[in-house]
Amino acid sequence: MHKGVLMHPNQNTRTTGGASRRTAASAAGALTLAIALAACGPSITSGEPGGAEAASADRLQAPTEESPQGEITIWDRSGDLFNVFDAVIDDFNEVYPDVVVHHEAVDIDAKLQNTLITGTDVPDGVFLDDAKVAGFSDYLWDLSDVLEPYTADIAPQKIDVNSLDGAIHGVPFDLDPGLLFYNEKALTEAGVDATQIETYDDLLEAARDYQEAVPGSKPIHLEQSAFLGQLQLEMYAGQLGTSIADENGELRLDSDEYRQVLGWLDTVNQEGLGTRAEYLSPSDVGALESGDQVFYPWAIWFSFAPEQQLTETSGDWRAMPLPAWEDGGARSGAMGGSSFVLPKDGENADLAWLFYEFLMFHEDGYRAVWGENDTYPNGLATSIPAYAPAADPADPLFGPVEGLGGQDLWTTAVEAGEEIPGGAPAPTWWTGAVDYLGTNVQRMYDGDLTPDEVIEQSTADIQTNLVDRQ
Amino acid sequence: MTTRTARPARIRAATTRALPTALGSQAFLLLLALAFLAPVAWALISAFKPATQIISDPLGLDLTALTLDNYRRMFADVPIGQGFLNTAVVLVAKGAITIFFAPLAAYAFAKYRFPGRDLLFGMVLITLMLPTIVLIIPLLLEMKALGWVNTYQALVLPGAVDAFAIFWMRQVIADVPDELLDAARVDGAGEFGIFTRIVLPVIRPALAGLAVLTVMNIYNDFVWPVVVASSERMATLQVVLSTLAQNITGNRIGADYATVTGELLAAASIALVPLLLVFVALQRHFINGILAGSVKG
Amino acid sequence: MSVLVAAERSRGHGAGRSVLRPWLPRKVAPYLFVLPFVAMFVAFSVYPMLFTLRLSFTDWRGSGAAQWVGWDNYAYLLGNEMFWGSLGNSAMLWLMIVPVQVVVGLLVAVLLNNAKLRMRSFYRIAFLVPFVTPLVAVAQIWVVVFDQNYGAVNGLLNLVGLPDVGWLTTSEFAKPTLALLFLWKTTGFIVIILLSGLQSIDASVYEAASIDGASRSRQLRSITVPLARRTLMFSVVLQTLAVFQMFAEPFVVTDGGPYNSTTTAGLHLYEHITRGDLGTGAANSFLLVIVVMGLSLVFVRLLRTED
Repeated sequence: MHKGVLMHPNQNTRTTGGASRRTAASAAGALTLAIALAACGPSITSGEPGGAEAASADRLQAPTEESPQGEITIWDRSGDLFNVFDAVIDDFNEVYPDVVVHHEAVDIDAKLQNTLITGTDVPDGVFLDDAKVAGFSDYLWDLSDVLEPYTADIAPQKIDVNSLDGAIHGVPFDLDPGLLFYNEKALTEAGVDATQIETYDDLLEAARDYQEAVPGSKPIHLEQSAFLGQLQLEMYAGQLGTSIADENGELRLDSDEYRQVLGWLDTVNQEGLGTRAEYLSPSDVGALESGDQVFYPWAIWFSFAPEQQLTETSGDWRAMPLPAWEDGGARSGAMGGSSFVLPKDGENADLAWLFYEFLMFHEDGYRAVWGENDTYPNGLATSIPAYAPAADPADPLFGPVEGLGGQDLWTTAVEAGEEIPGGAPAPTWWTGAVDYLGTNVQRMYDGDLTPDEVIEQSTADIQTNLVDRQ
Repeated sequence: MTTRTARPARIRAATTRALPTALGSQAFLLLLALAFLAPVAWALISAFKPATQIISDPLGLDLTALTLDNYRRMFADVPIGQGFLNTAVVLVAKGAITIFFAPLAAYAFAKYRFPGRDLLFGMVLITLMLPTIVLIIPLLLEMKALGWVNTYQALVLPGAVDAFAIFWMRQVIADVPDELLDAARVDGAGEFGIFTRIVLPVIRPALAGLAVLTVMNIYNDFVWPVVVASSERMATLQVVLSTLAQNITGNRIGADYATVTGELLAAASIALVPLLLVFVALQRHFINGILAGSVKG
Repeated sequence: MSVLVAAERSRGHGAGRSVLRPWLPRKVAPYLFVLPFVAMFVAFSVYPMLFTLRLSFTDWRGSGAAQWVGWDNYAYLLGNEMFWGSLGNSAMLWLMIVPVQVVVGLLVAVLLNNAKLRMRSFYRIAFLVPFVTPLVAVAQIWVVVFDQNYGAVNGLLNLVGLPDVGWLTTSEFAKPTLALLFLWKTTGFIVIILLSGLQSIDASVYEAASIDGASRSRQLRSITVPLARRTLMFSVVLQTLAVFQMFAEPFVVTDGGPYNSTTTAGLHLYEHITRGDLGTGAANSFLLVIVVMGLSLVFVRLLRTED
């Protein structure tokens, strides 16, 4: 890498010769600069005391003033929910007139990690997928104290998914019960009565019947995105009261529950009963619209599709609780969902807490979020509140869903939500596991792995690459 | 092609004979050119189609259904105006630094023989070989230590004296005849004066090329701005685009594929049109500049 | 030329000494001129590199105290399938991109080097349009155009009676599709660089060859390629660096999928960072830098032997 490298022939023209003492001066200057920079640079051992006292210092306390004042920055994903939350800010300001809310639409996945590392301009509150909360727990306030008055009324699954080492790191936003969406019109025409489905074996049977009536159809949705596929797998497993890891972060994939779920998915695939596509990708939509795909076991937020995206079959769809894995088993499991997290480096996290408290636990707040609004004239029917007083079967926040033929989705979802077993915490490495578990499930759909191999390989890889490297 | 056409004309005459048939090469080039233009043309046109049609009928075009809905929704959803403004600020500041300081360093490397030159030029080559992504985290921590996160300095300074620009300008300046520089010296010009009054004017075509290349690089820079400009008020155009794109590629729960695609194509069109105009207006300078300044055979 | 330059050189020396003391001594000037670059280099390259080096021996996760773990991170990566997989993916992409680009680029450059070619400036603009369009926009266009069921590309295939192809959803096709994006985006620039190399070949060489009765294809093989070799190698080095540093394309288009078949070396490194595993990310950085520099040196060596 000396002269002559990619050099022009005319390069070696001038020869002044003789070494200059000034090189030394220049080098010294550069050195001084480097040292100066190193001195003001970051330290990798900015030791933070561990232990019990530290834990209590990490617990957020609510402001005590009568009318607290200050400014907060709130990050949300751009899109429909951003608009919904944006509209609630006015209602919030009626109660807390002195809190100024800066609401920003942000690419959270790309930015949160870096922002937390630099600790500069950290937002006071962030909207985050439940599965990602634990991964950021080091940077987040423990909300046990502020949430205390509400904890007993929050769905246990939402508390568990936000908990790590006895601390709660998120204000639970939505509960996302898994439901079985089905194309009632297409099924009725084929002579299949979906309402009779009570177990996954029944669903398999119904799918076989439908395929017989509609040759070439592939009635059941099989998710092709590794991330969403793993999320859906956790919904199925959640019905059986288990999840990828227990509260101590120990893997528990190697169990009869996972063998049952994966075995069933494998059967659907092997028998050619599944449409393998990414959630609401054009391919997926095509199969939904053509009547080739009529069963969609998914979280409540699938309701968005018949309501806004499926123009041809809108109104033909219905939702019912998921089938159970055995007679009398739980008829729902949670899939996805989000919470609000409050970074410790945010300047006014306590004020952000007031914002989220209003949004989630005050009637004016949750009515504004789930009730009729400019974005959703009929209410936000893609999730239900995780807070029991808000999720009253007798007092729907959102109205009947046209895309589901005017069905009262509220009652169906709230009742399904009550069936979701707790005890499914999300480990810090949940998203990292997608490379292994999520990917291996896809390999199973490819026919390259058996359910047992999925469990075996995923367990080994997650243990070495994630659990052991924490 | 002004000054340089004269000499290579004869070569071209010679190479023509080395080609099968003029018709064959025309057909080949035309097909290739269409393939190169098609995706951009498709995006520009599709942005005016109703969102659902972009998905359901990507190749069709119903002239009666053309709409501005995608643009309207996009403007309502993302702060693209702020993005343009930030990009413009960075473009001017960073561009000016690159276009002045890179040729200055290149001038030293090309026309002076001084101890440590090869070592310093080695630094240029090392910088060329360092993947940006490698430095992201430490640079970010450095920005934090300097208090520069979410500032224009952070968007402008790292990488401002671009290594490729130095590397390329050194080739260009090496071609400037020494007699010109020496004549200026005889006339009493200082070292810096020679650079500003002789070197810069002489290499102007290449500088134009450098300017276009620099504008393009800065305009398209994506990774660093996403990381260092986390706040909305500092978001550059590409950051705004990536915020939109995230709704499709990332976790698109609750996002309508067709709507977001429509918005994204609208945003993409708006982002690429200014650069396309700049390029078409300056393409002669750009192409000639690169031709003037590349490594020789 | 060389005689002239030599004459100029000796004259220049004498003349230089006769000048009265300028405010900036000639021996100091070059150091001052490179100072802005060097200062930036120290501040924004050297310092972060040293920091990364230190980080690579720790288990730091972005907050709290860092533990010194010695060579653990390196040992882990060197025994890790996904790390090697990411390098393998980059190598495969290199194979799909660089040879194609050199052959097609040279062919186009040779054609464009013909003054009598009609629409020459149209072609030059057309081939450079992808190069000047913003990557994030273009990458997103790729996602839509190559969609399995509703993309325009499969639409065209269907028109001529071919079945749909899972461009971005199958591991066989995802890499070539990504390579195509890269080729489409950068080939125009390579064409212009190669064109500059061709224009510097002296016409008399071709004339002599024609007189000797050398065929056209033979002229291409025996004259154009050898004489443009430096420019060709320059393009190869440039694109090798670019391919091994590739990050934004897979990040936007495939996010590394399906099955990590498009997780490039750069993207894999970024995944450690998003997971907060900064120590491993730093070690991965260094391993990648070693690979990239090693490759550059190999190509530079090849280039030098041509002198």
